[in-house]
Amino acid sequence: METGWYPVALAEGLERGMSTGTRLFGRELVVWRDSADTSHVWEDRCPHRGMRLSFGFVRDNHIACLYHGWQYDTSAQCRYIPAHPELAVPATIRVATYPSIERLGIVWGYNELDGDAPPDIGFAERAPMTPVRSLYVDASAAKVFDALVLAECPPLKNVGGATQRSRTDALVSLKSGGDEILVAVQPLSDVESALHIVIAGPPDVYSGDSQKRVSAWGEALRREVEGAARHVGELRHEVAP
Amino acid sequence: MSEITLYDFELDENCYKVRLLLSVLGLSYRKVAVNVVPGREHLAPALMALNPRGSLPILTNSEFVLSEAEAIMIYLARAYDNGNAWLPTDPKAHGLVAMWLQFAGRDLHAAFLARRLAMFDASGDEVALGFAARSAFRLMEDHMTAREFDRAAWFVGDNPSLADLALFPAIALSRDFGIEHEAYPALRRWMRRVRAIPGFVTMPGIPDYY
Repeated sequence: METGWYPVALAEGLERGMSTGTRLFGRELVVWRDSADTSHVWEDRCPHRGMRLSFGFVRDNHIACLYHGWQYDTSAQCRYIPAHPELAVPATIRVATYPSIERLGIVWGYNELDGDAPPDIGFAERAPMTPVRSLYVDASAAKVFDALVLAECPPLKNVGGATQRSRTDALVSLKSGGDEILVAVQPLSDVESALHIVIAGPPDVYSGDSQKRVSAWGEALRREVEGAARHVGELRHEVAP
Repeated sequence: MSEITLYDFELDENCYKVRLLLSVLGLSYRKVAVNVVPGREHLAPALMALNPRGSLPILTNSEFVLSEAEAIMIYLARAYDNGNAWLPTDPKAHGLVAMWLQFAGRDLHAAFLARRLAMFDASGDEVALGFAARSAFRLMEDHMTAREFDRAAWFVGDNPSLADLALFPAIALSRDFGIEHEAYPALRRWMRRVRAIPGFVTMPGIPDYY
């Protein structure tokens, strides 16, 4: 597991008041957005009984555990325990958190729990972006990158010439003519990953048909990558008992 | 006077489909609780006489007897939804709803069996059922993703239909058999919309709070 910034969700798909469970290298995270529009990336674990917070619910500026209703504020501090309504909750009761940031229309987490100030994410904000989708693939992030660095940018609005590709640790850019798509890769486990796909351009140009085209392009890439993964027997999903 | 009776097992997602529709239609009905686990009452002579398939739900309305959740939903919509909101009369929309109802009964049957296996120790191939259920959920996810690009909120048309009610239980209960909602962001948003339908009710395994 490499320490670094990893994508965990598309920013627009994470609506206010929404929480969702996800993983980085097999470790469980909860990603949620409060009523003030700020997103949070925490360990998916209520310190009380270890219940996953992603099973809980968001109300205003706190997230509550489904099990006993313990409520955590946006700094991950427990503020209210329904069974002990009079109690001033000790400061030691808090959820472990990951540093997080929204950039390029994507929510990113730095995978070091309760760490010191993380290094800069390494690329500037660009806006506006047109979100496409998060696509979950039954193959390792390495296999996804193998396919992405050979992929063609799908033709959108400003078609022109060969695909120019560049990548960082977690992000691939595919450019052709005036069109560019960005694919951020989230390693879920050794055999699963998620692609968070955005078009680097404004929604008034790219929403609708271009989104559909990029989405279909992503599905084709998923088929290709999973076909290769299946071929080498990488896929081994099991249903939990 | 007609009296609707539902032979029901509280933990069964197919019975839940019918309870959901009865609730959003605001219909009053008599509920007969059938002890499926561990009692196996659904296979006892009284219920086998109503439905030789030995499955739930069964709905009766005076002398009329009907089984299979999707068929019951179609009947209730035609009989009691005068505005045809839940089963559109437009031929294309009707066809699309019928397709998703078939999907709910066939493709999502793997999810039903996986849940039976996980919760009630029924027999089956856990890995194969889990894979088949995930494949069906992925098709639903891809569909709702494409729908969102058209700014559409429901499986068919501009309003919720029987398709949404029939497809909801399997994915909403998928954690019962070890499939998280992580990989289905479009379905997560859609499930929040389904929960906001007036008359929506939950069942065990679907939390009241979300």
